[in-house]
Amino acid sequence: MERMGVELPYYPVNDFGPIIKGLVIGGLGIFHVFLAQFAIGGGMLMCYFQWLAQSGRSPSARRLLDGYFRVLVLISFVLGALTGVAMWFTTIQISPRTIGVMVDEFHWVWATEWTFFCLEVVAGYAFYRCGARLDDRARMTLLVLYTIAAWFSLFWINGILSWQLTPGDWNSTHEVWAGFFNPGFWPSLVFRTIVSLTIASLAACVVINSIPDLDREQRATLIQQAARLLAPMALMPALGLSYLTTLPEDSRSWVQGGSAAMTMFMGITIVASLLIGLHALLGFIWRKLYISGATATLLLALAFGATAGGEFVREGVRKPFTIREYLFSNSIRPQEVATLRRTGCVTNDPYPLRNSADYPLETLRLGAKVFRFQCSICHTMNGVNGLTHLAGSWEADQKRMNIAKLQRTKPFMPPFAGSPEELEALAQLIEWNHEGRPGQWPSGGDPEGLARIGRWLDEAGTAPATWPRGAGDEFEVE
Amino acid sequence: MDRLFPFGFPSATAFYLALYVLTLVIHVAFMNYVLAGTGYLVASALLSRRRTDGDGLTLADTLRDWMPFALSAAITAGVAPLLFVQILYKKNFYTANLLLFHRWMAILPVLIVGFYLLYLLKARAAERWPAWGRTLLAFGALLCFAFTAYSWTENHLLSADSTNWPGLYESNARTYWHPQLVPRLFLWAAGAVATMCLLAAWQLHFAGGMKPFSAADVGRLARLALAGLVFSGAGGLAYWYFLEAPQRRVLTGPLAGPYLAAALIGLVVQLFAWLDQLRHATIRPKSLMVCSIGLSMTLVCVTVVREALRLASIDIATLQEQHLAAASKGGLFVFLLFFAVNAGLIAWCLRLARRKQPG
Repeated sequence: MERMGVELPYYPVNDFGPIIKGLVIGGLGIFHVFLAQFAIGGGMLMCYFQWLAQSGRSPSARRLLDGYFRVLVLISFVLGALTGVAMWFTTIQISPRTIGVMVDEFHWVWATEWTFFCLEVVAGYAFYRCGARLDDRARMTLLVLYTIAAWFSLFWINGILSWQLTPGDWNSTHEVWAGFFNPGFWPSLVFRTIVSLTIASLAACVVINSIPDLDREQRATLIQQAARLLAPMALMPALGLSYLTTLPEDSRSWVQGGSAAMTMFMGITIVASLLIGLHALLGFIWRKLYISGATATLLLALAFGATAGGEFVREGVRKPFTIREYLFSNSIRPQEVATLRRTGCVTNDPYPLRNSADYPLETLRLGAKVFRFQCSICHTMNGVNGLTHLAGSWEADQKRMNIAKLQRTKPFMPPFAGSPEELEALAQLIEWNHEGRPGQWPSGGDPEGLARIGRWLDEAGTAPATWPRGAGDEFEVE
Repeated sequence: MDRLFPFGFPSATAFYLALYVLTLVIHVAFMNYVLAGTGYLVASALLSRRRTDGDGLTLADTLRDWMPFALSAAITAGVAPLLFVQILYKKNFYTANLLLFHRWMAILPVLIVGFYLLYLLKARAAERWPAWGRTLLAFGALLCFAFTAYSWTENHLLSADSTNWPGLYESNARTYWHPQLVPRLFLWAAGAVATMCLLAAWQLHFAGGMKPFSAADVGRLARLALAGLVFSGAGGLAYWYFLEAPQRRVLTGPLAGPYLAAALIGLVVQLFAWLDQLRHATIRPKSLMVCSIGLSMTLVCVTVVREALRLASIDIATLQEQHLAAASKGGLFVFLLFFAVNAGLIAWCLRLARRKQPG
């Protein structure tokens, strides 16, 4: 029997109104990933066009280089860099414990990535400021260094992000490199590299159409050359399938029909990628078609949609974990559930409610604190993914039992980690909200009802549904 | 607390404290350049309405030209201390972030706006704008950076004030007031002027071979730097006045006392170096070198003093186990390897960019 001390870090929890926190971090993450991948692919594309220019294969290539790099600096160096910082700050807002674990575990990886950021900024600005006056060799050197730095920033962060979903041997060894080179690392890295090339290539088509005083023939030539970077898209289906095989079985099942939302977003990603891929392979590469700025922008928007769907799925299929097998979405560790059921999850929470006077009863106030601590990371009360919509219509005992056996009710939910009194309070809070928050509310929680909740909690166990039944029972916490 | 920073702490804590301070100093140098440089651009845009001789624009041109890169460098350099502060003071830092919520998060869109204003200020199109238009652009950028500086100071002070966390949370307030906030900000802002002047003087020196700089620029830089140093000294005194007795004891005690003394010595060294510069009305590399040593001393030591004040407010002993656990994680060798490789590659980039420029 494993005995361990637990000191749960309590943080002040903010209310995001009707929006769930996952949407905030997801929206920002999608935007940042898209910009970052544009910067990475952009570096590769510029190396290619520099080679075309210096080898005399494309007289107009230099025009594209200058225009493209200006866009890259203005978008990626500003928005890309600051949304990267924003990702860190937003993750702190959403789940401080998760980012804390990630920083503790991978700070040297992040610090290594930082050295590549520095190289990326210096090489990029050196090219931006001095490129026009440099000889071809120096230009190519700066571009190659910029590209290496940008791609390595993907290399490092990819290890950390894929570790969250497929930590592999890390869960038993807790060794950094076992977690970094996890089962999802390589398929994800290659896949993202191809996505980067795709985004850069489509962005180049937009830029080519916006460069003044290029005639149509010059544009057509540049577009054909930029489109060559779309060819690796042919590998995407195989890579996507290979990545799927690295996912845990339950996560894989969510995108194969187990969860309507996950399946739908996966479908969006596949269809959008397929449309871009077909257009690229059949239109650009085989038929050598011209593409207008408007069509290129539309394809770029589709690529954004595909990225959005893919990132949503990557975030979503981790449930009920934020770090697979280690930390639940609500920042509670599986090993802590048993203790919290005994001591109560908000007993030691030092933060009072902000709207305490809104609740007519102490039970409801307790319920609000439980909701804030355990549920508010993924749910609102009345807004998106609102508990009153999901569980308001359940009968009182049905509500109690479904919450007590939460991981059995919905396998992507973590087990309830609180005392029977807290569960009763949460159930009452949902009911009270469902009834329109009346000024008078009967106090519930008779001893017999609490005993029944206790039995349901015991029957459900403390392990998540993805673990064998009773697997969490060995955690006896001091 | 009874030994010189960071030696009195367990090795893991001392290691991360030293790393944090060293990386923060790099960030501060760029940050000072941006903050004070943008301030200079505001003044320059305002004064250019009355200026008819065209003199004195070289410094403003240089600053305007380099400001976006400097901001990019400041943001990039800020990533490393942001990483180490999370290891050192996880709960304090996260809690302050959470309590200030969207007021704190606002620094990100504000910085994006400031960034684009700097690019706009540098654009050729802006040169044709009337003086008030350019003044507004520069002033807008300055406001953005001043807001960011204010928010960081607010966040820092709140992170060390754990007794007020539950009350602040309950009150739903998104701002935090502390008597030390204004003097701290004033001290940093005045110190930023001296940093910017020195970096700009080096820029003028290195650009001198290609583009002659005016004597007026050198004199202006020297006078500005001297004013910045005097005001930062005054700011330091004001800040001392607002410190509580235990904090003062930390600053004069073994933990931070020698650093405070060294910071003051660095300040005096800078004063003499700038006076020498002012007397000769030209850029003297030897004086700049002496000044750089003085500035480095001051920046490093003031940053240590800042950290010592925080350590006096936080029970660091409760965090030492976490530092030890973090230090046991692998990856340090890989970091050091790529730090060296990428430092070399960065030097190569700079050499390439400089060597190929026509004389």
